[in-house]
Amino acid sequence: MIELKHIEKTYRRGVETVRALRGVNLTINAGELMAIVGPSGAGKTTLLHILGCLDQPTNGDVLFDGVNTAGMPESQLVKIRREKIGFVFQQFYLIPGLSVFDNIALPLLFSKKPAQRKKIEQLAEMVGLEHRLNHAPAQLSGGEMQRTAIARGLVNDPAILLADEPTGNLDTENSEKIYAILRRLSNEGLTTIMITHNPELAARAERTVKIRDGLICP
Amino acid sequence: MTSYLKLAAKNILRHRTRSLLTMLGIAASVGVLFAVLSFNKGFTEGLAVELERTGLHFMIVPSGCAHEVAALVLHGAVIPKFLDTGVMEHVEGTAGIDLATPILVAQLPDQQRGKIDLIYGIEMNVLEAIKPGWEITGTIPRHEHEVLLGYEVAQHDNLQPGDHFSSPAAGVDLIVAGIVGYSGSQDDAFVYLPIQTAQNLLGYPQSATAIGVKVDDPTRIGAITESLTSTVPGIQIVTMGEVMNSVSNLAAAARALSLAIVLIAILISAVGVMNSILMAVFERTQEIGMMRAVGASRWDIFRIILNETTILALVGGVVGIVLSTLGARLIEAFVRSVMPFVPSGDLIRFDPIVALGSVAFIFVIGLCAGIYPAVKASKINPVEAIKG
Repeated sequence: MIELKHIEKTYRRGVETVRALRGVNLTINAGELMAIVGPSGAGKTTLLHILGCLDQPTNGDVLFDGVNTAGMPESQLVKIRREKIGFVFQQFYLIPGLSVFDNIALPLLFSKKPAQRKKIEQLAEMVGLEHRLNHAPAQLSGGEMQRTAIARGLVNDPAILLADEPTGNLDTENSEKIYAILRRLSNEGLTTIMITHNPELAARAERTVKIRDGLICP
Repeated sequence: MTSYLKLAAKNILRHRTRSLLTMLGIAASVGVLFAVLSFNKGFTEGLAVELERTGLHFMIVPSGCAHEVAALVLHGAVIPKFLDTGVMEHVEGTAGIDLATPILVAQLPDQQRGKIDLIYGIEMNVLEAIKPGWEITGTIPRHEHEVLLGYEVAQHDNLQPGDHFSSPAAGVDLIVAGIVGYSGSQDDAFVYLPIQTAQNLLGYPQSATAIGVKVDDPTRIGAITESLTSTVPGIQIVTMGEVMNSVSNLAAAARALSLAIVLIAILISAVGVMNSILMAVFERTQEIGMMRAVGASRWDIFRIILNETTILALVGGVVGIVLSTLGARLIEAFVRSVMPFVPSGDLIRFDPIVALGSVAFIFVIGLCAGIYPAVKASKINPVEAIKG
């Protein structure tokens, strides 16, 4: 279970001080599929980055199974990112020179785990890319690239998958495929949180959290 | 399985032209470094071999400059001073002398054939002792009107034993008694005459350019030269070691300058590497942010970027050494054309120690050039990077 208590985040943009989050309280249950929605600049991505231990709140507590990650040194946050969190981005961020197989296996390099071929193949099969393992990202469609990114996000067996607009660059058909994968992962017990601008997808999530001006709307 | 090295190599291959040009810059500078270091080593070794081939331990010359003796010994330069061969009595009477011979060296221009004959007058009976490695076709001259030709001289004039060798400048006509086999040294360029023939021919009877001496025990050279200097006035003794130092000192400035130029070239190529990798880092900011998000630490990013620079440096270094080895003949020909004295023989040879040293040096330079981009990359804020 993840608990956010009174999360505030302020940062400077030039001479301006931006209050991205103004006291967010949120509890996320294990295995939940949650959609975060809201207008641009509302604080959705900042919230996702704090949940993913990529960023630190200015105030408040972030509790992962009771352990507060707020104020943790970077070395411990890296460890949490490796062991507990998987990330999926709107722009996929696959490495062009690496094959699909190597892109999926990339996080294992950083977590110092061996890349077991069987595991990578299983993940590729789960996202429907078992026939594309030796292909370069440039040979894939957008949907395939995002499915590769999802497999990459899962390779370290995370407890939580954070997806920042995973369907933002995809057509309806591919968006459906991505949602189906996320739904299935959630059904299998993986906590899945996605930011989306797609109201249909958000409506199909177990819970939708709406953010506006750095606050969760009731 | 992806490794840090594989990841770095793949990143380099993403910009093939840029990486190739950067690598070629390194290859050129390492190639020149390798050539200069090999040449310096070959120069010293070649010089030692050349001096060893003289078969003598020291030269007695009129008081003067050691550089003149070096020029005399190594390429037959003419010293405009002469020793009276009466000195030979004192020399031969000194304990520890194995053999001594007057040497008279002169240059005789042959305008008809557009060449200069290098005359080397010496006692013919000492040649076998001081040049045991010579392979002579024919015989060593036994009579005053006979001559022994170096390989190149015989080749140039197309002469065989029994042919006539004439020097219009001196107005002589001699019989070729023998021809020295190819030695690859300065020996190939001399016309060897019996000392008396040379003295008469040049009009300097009882004179010698130098007296070459071989001692019984080379460890006693110091004591023998001291004894000679104290008993024979007006002479200077130059050992082959001193000749070597003298020539080495003359070449040292050129070697230092060439090394300095090479080091500047390496510095420029290192800046090229730094620039190339820095550009790649800036281009991959979002990708680095992604890697941080999926578990890469700052150290992981640092390693990947540093690996890229060291791969470029190592590959460039190896390519440079291969190119330098393949082009050794061309480089050597160029150096020979611009340096006043270069020992004969191959000067730029593949020496694994010099090659390894050059690669190790560029590896360190590559590491240094990679530190700044690697630090820069490791400090990229993942949140800012992902936002783009």
